[in-house]
Amino acid sequence: MAELKVLFKDIDVPGIERLEVYEQHGGYSALRKALGMTRQQVIDEVKASGLRGRGGAGFPAWIKWNGIPKDESQPHYVQCNADEGEPGTFKDRELMLRHPHQLIEGIIIAGYAILSKVGYIYIRGEYTEPARVMRRAIDEAYRAGYLGKNILGSGVDFDLYIHMGAGSYECGEESAMMSSIMGERGQPRLKFPHAPLPTIAGLWNCPTLINNVETLSCVPAIIRNGGAWYASMGTEKSTGTKIFSVSGHVNKPGNYEVEMGTPLMELLELAGGVKGKLKAVIPGGSSVPILPAEKCDVNLDYESLQSAGTMLGSGGFMVLNDTVCIVKFMRRTAAFYAHESCGKCTPCREGTRWMVKIFDRILAGGGRMEDIDLLLDICDQIDGRSYCGLGDAAAWPIRASIQHYRHEYEYYIKHGRSMVEVEGKAVA
Amino acid sequence: MAQEELVTIEINGIELQVPKGEMIIESAKRIGVDIPFFCYHPRLGKGQAANCRMCLVEAGTKQPDGSVRMMPKPQTSCTLPASQGLVVFTDTVAIQKARRGILEFLLINHPLDCPICDRGGECPLQNNTLFYGPAVSRFIEEKRHLPKAFPLSDYVVLDRERCIHCARCTRFSQEISGDAQLEFLKRGADMMVSTFQDTEFTSRFSGNTIELCPVGALTSRAYRFRARPWDMKSQKSICTRCSNGCNIWLDYRPNRLVRVLGRENEAVNEEWTCDRGKFGHEYISSDRRLLSPLIRRDGKFVTASWVEAYHLIASHLRQAVAEHGAQSVGAIGGAHLSNEEAYLLQKLMRVAVGTNNIDHRLERNQVAGGDTLLARLGVPFTQNAIADIERAKTLFILGADLVDEQPIVFLRARKAWFRFGANVIIAHPEVTETELRFDEPVILRYREGTEKTLIHGLLYLVLQSGKAVTSALPSEELQSLQASLSAYTPSRVSQETGVAESVLRETADLLGEGTLVLCAGRVRNHPEYAELVGALVNLTLLTGNGARENGGLNILLPEVNSHGAADMGVLPDMLPGYVRVSDTTARQRMEKLWETALPAEPGLNTQAMLESAAEGHLQVLYVVGEDIAHKYHDPDLARRALENAGFVVVQDLFLTETAQYADVVLPAASVAEKEGTFTNTERRVQRFWKAFNAPSPEVKPDLNIFAELAVYLGKPLPVFSAEQLMEEIGQAFPAYAHCCYDQLPPEGVRWQTTSLGEEE
Repeated sequence: MAELKVLFKDIDVPGIERLEVYEQHGGYSALRKALGMTRQQVIDEVKASGLRGRGGAGFPAWIKWNGIPKDESQPHYVQCNADEGEPGTFKDRELMLRHPHQLIEGIIIAGYAILSKVGYIYIRGEYTEPARVMRRAIDEAYRAGYLGKNILGSGVDFDLYIHMGAGSYECGEESAMMSSIMGERGQPRLKFPHAPLPTIAGLWNCPTLINNVETLSCVPAIIRNGGAWYASMGTEKSTGTKIFSVSGHVNKPGNYEVEMGTPLMELLELAGGVKGKLKAVIPGGSSVPILPAEKCDVNLDYESLQSAGTMLGSGGFMVLNDTVCIVKFMRRTAAFYAHESCGKCTPCREGTRWMVKIFDRILAGGGRMEDIDLLLDICDQIDGRSYCGLGDAAAWPIRASIQHYRHEYEYYIKHGRSMVEVEGKAVA
Repeated sequence: MAQEELVTIEINGIELQVPKGEMIIESAKRIGVDIPFFCYHPRLGKGQAANCRMCLVEAGTKQPDGSVRMMPKPQTSCTLPASQGLVVFTDTVAIQKARRGILEFLLINHPLDCPICDRGGECPLQNNTLFYGPAVSRFIEEKRHLPKAFPLSDYVVLDRERCIHCARCTRFSQEISGDAQLEFLKRGADMMVSTFQDTEFTSRFSGNTIELCPVGALTSRAYRFRARPWDMKSQKSICTRCSNGCNIWLDYRPNRLVRVLGRENEAVNEEWTCDRGKFGHEYISSDRRLLSPLIRRDGKFVTASWVEAYHLIASHLRQAVAEHGAQSVGAIGGAHLSNEEAYLLQKLMRVAVGTNNIDHRLERNQVAGGDTLLARLGVPFTQNAIADIERAKTLFILGADLVDEQPIVFLRARKAWFRFGANVIIAHPEVTETELRFDEPVILRYREGTEKTLIHGLLYLVLQSGKAVTSALPSEELQSLQASLSAYTPSRVSQETGVAESVLRETADLLGEGTLVLCAGRVRNHPEYAELVGALVNLTLLTGNGARENGGLNILLPEVNSHGAADMGVLPDMLPGYVRVSDTTARQRMEKLWETALPAEPGLNTQAMLESAAEGHLQVLYVVGEDIAHKYHDPDLARRALENAGFVVVQDLFLTETAQYADVVLPAASVAEKEGTFTNTERRVQRFWKAFNAPSPEVKPDLNIFAELAVYLGKPLPVFSAEQLMEEIGQAFPAYAHCCYDQLPPEGVRWQTTSLGEEE
């Protein structure tokens, strides 16, 4: 099985990040086509494609697009989530760094479809180079008349702005991102049913479409080739292709675009195979539950992974071999979430830090057997009680690690050292 | 107002109807279901709430087939709006566990120093832990360590270890006071409340954050470690620091005020206090209070008995009246007295002494015969209630720094803009703190002293626009107004006032029905007060706000009972109820009530009394509760008057600068040591109660002093209590007939101006 390249189709073309090369390869033809369609036809095409959100939740994209009011009594906004903060994920980085016009074209088409005149790309603060590339590309697009007033003489206006993050994982959460764009502290906002959906009241209380870089990058190909073409790839419910950022103990780490539903083990082969003996895979970024090797006989699509007890998430595909000590690995994960907790809600603010303290004590040899159940209970108290998904994301991996590797925890607590080291193997 | 849509919901199996969109935490209160919370506060915007996660409930919706579809996660009831068929459970096993979990989380880093914490005993964290929390903690790690007594300002100290990050204080400073001085720094468990770069927390409303804090993180420097809640008693009172009439609690230990808390009154202060009110009552329990009457002997004050003091005053009064006539006696004061006391003071002067030389005003404007407002709008000073401000469409704040001068009115004005989207126009010669609290208000930066031109210029534009309600003015008046305004073209007005023509036009466009004008000191003290107010009245009438609730003209007053003193007739030309002393019928009515003849000639106003005293004509000057040597708008004149007056009696709490000039000083009781009513700037009559005894038995309420002095003057004014006196006031001024103590509702009552018309 090989890769199936839709987003990456032209990514190896030299200079594709430049407008004239992109245009030579069919760039902005989708925009021209979309401008010749009605807005609803564009949305219907996205609906036909079955495209689902690539940011992690997998929500059908067209529902958001169609949820934006069809009148212009208020300004509408497109908010492109380029805050790619999920550990293990680096697909948006490559899409922006190497194929910026594909994203810009997708955003403009989305803007046209939802009657928006203004779009924001919220790029994470560490992505200075991708942001520079995006900046250059946006400038090119303005000069060529793809952005600004009266795009390609169609009478449609669209302005696109880059908003740089400042190094907060939480700002990748869509409502915290809205806070950040509006100049507020990067903290999440109330969600439905406590507040209207962003498609009704998002940025500055106006209808806002929020999509991930990868989702929007899919749009030009869908418009060019039709939704049915896109839906012909992948599985029935998970259509199209998905980029996985494969990292960890593989021989050829990197971004791989495969058809939805590709067997997990095939992706591992694509990535050059596992270094050493496979211990586990974390298929969707650090926040999804860990998948032990014996359960890795699974296909990569939203439904299959869910039934395997984990999630497709953002496609941050981390591969662990048997040199990895799960307790230490989870200590690092817990520390990440404690560091990134915005502090707004009690369970996440206090619970994540508490778990790190317990991990530190276990690693220092002061663990107690009851600490394992205490960790599980803290996970229960955070999961579903926190203000936004960050709390849930902090709890899931730890809970899953205890479910699958409880014996490693017990060993560490009993002996004050890692089970993996005792077996005399190298430590990652 | 449109009928609220009701929806049927179910809480713990009890079906009830509530307004659609009401938060479930409020709906639960309706049926007595307790949902614990920390961050929720009904007055703080819901947008930022739901962070403590204490109020979680399980919720679901009734399906058409009668089954209930539960939401997968527990929901915060403080942000969950009621909708048709919503089903809520507040006390399931899962919720009990969630609450225990939240409290355990909150307590892992919260120091357990309750025995020395100011909040101990009235602490939501203590209470909720007792009712809903785990008995023990499983946390064995080290707690977070942060500064324990970090001073934010002279008033507020922050204990960062105790903070539970509910964000009430930060939300208050952003949404209510609008100064946005408090914000969180850092994130996660390192998050802490701070001001920008640790600058001083200078908000005029900082004290409210102490009361909002659900733990002992924000504490009052004045109250810190001074008492435990269970050692204190509380009494309902009214703040005396300005004319807004905020409802407060006086918390005291035996005979000593310990702190002041805001008391709820939706009509006035909601529940807020300003810092002047919250921290400005220390004087009540000051060690420098006067403890007995003082008489000047050989240039020095010596302690005297009340009998000596009364004899001395009475003999001087009698002598002055006998030798120089009643016109040689004058009294200044009343704006700090209760209504009952103010009434008795003017009665004492008019009945027992026989003079109309009485005035409560210390500012420049002492216009004779009431003013334009009363004559043309039928209200003495303010047309609108404080609560009406939030319904205004456009607020026109003229020459007033409301934050400083009228703090609680400011909070309403800000609410009108922040919550209800009112337009805001601010006209002031200088940059004021007030204008910084609104985002991009229309600013009219006129040149000092050109207020009248400015208003005339706006009138010109309003008339020109064709939207003016010209029927509000009699036609000949309208014609002469139009004629006189013809010179006030925008270009000329712009040149004179320095306000750009475009801004003038923008302002005029915003004026209309629902324009509420707020003025304070700068207008009250304007050299051309009558003309300026005349122009403002024209503006009010021509914009159709002559008799509106959400629009009109309001000249806000300076002191706690400035309004009451005027109502009570502490004016040289007005008897109680704004009837002229020269009005024979009205005077006769009062003569009948008081069973005595009254002087028909208007007396001297404060300025004239002081001038007369400075020239040595005034034989006895009686100053009640006013430090005129310090506070009179022309302090030099006041000092000369005090030096040259024949005999000076000063009645006050302290040996003020004015008292230093006195021949007799009488020690008066403070607001905490007596009872009565005050009338605030919106003419709301509100009661206050006695909290504790005066610092010495020799300190008497002003009411008793006036009554006893009358006895020594041989003209007893029988009075046994403030309550009884209020009944007499109701007869003298029928608008106060509804203010008898047994009729006065808890939120006080705005007296009806319609009764003024009947009087004339």
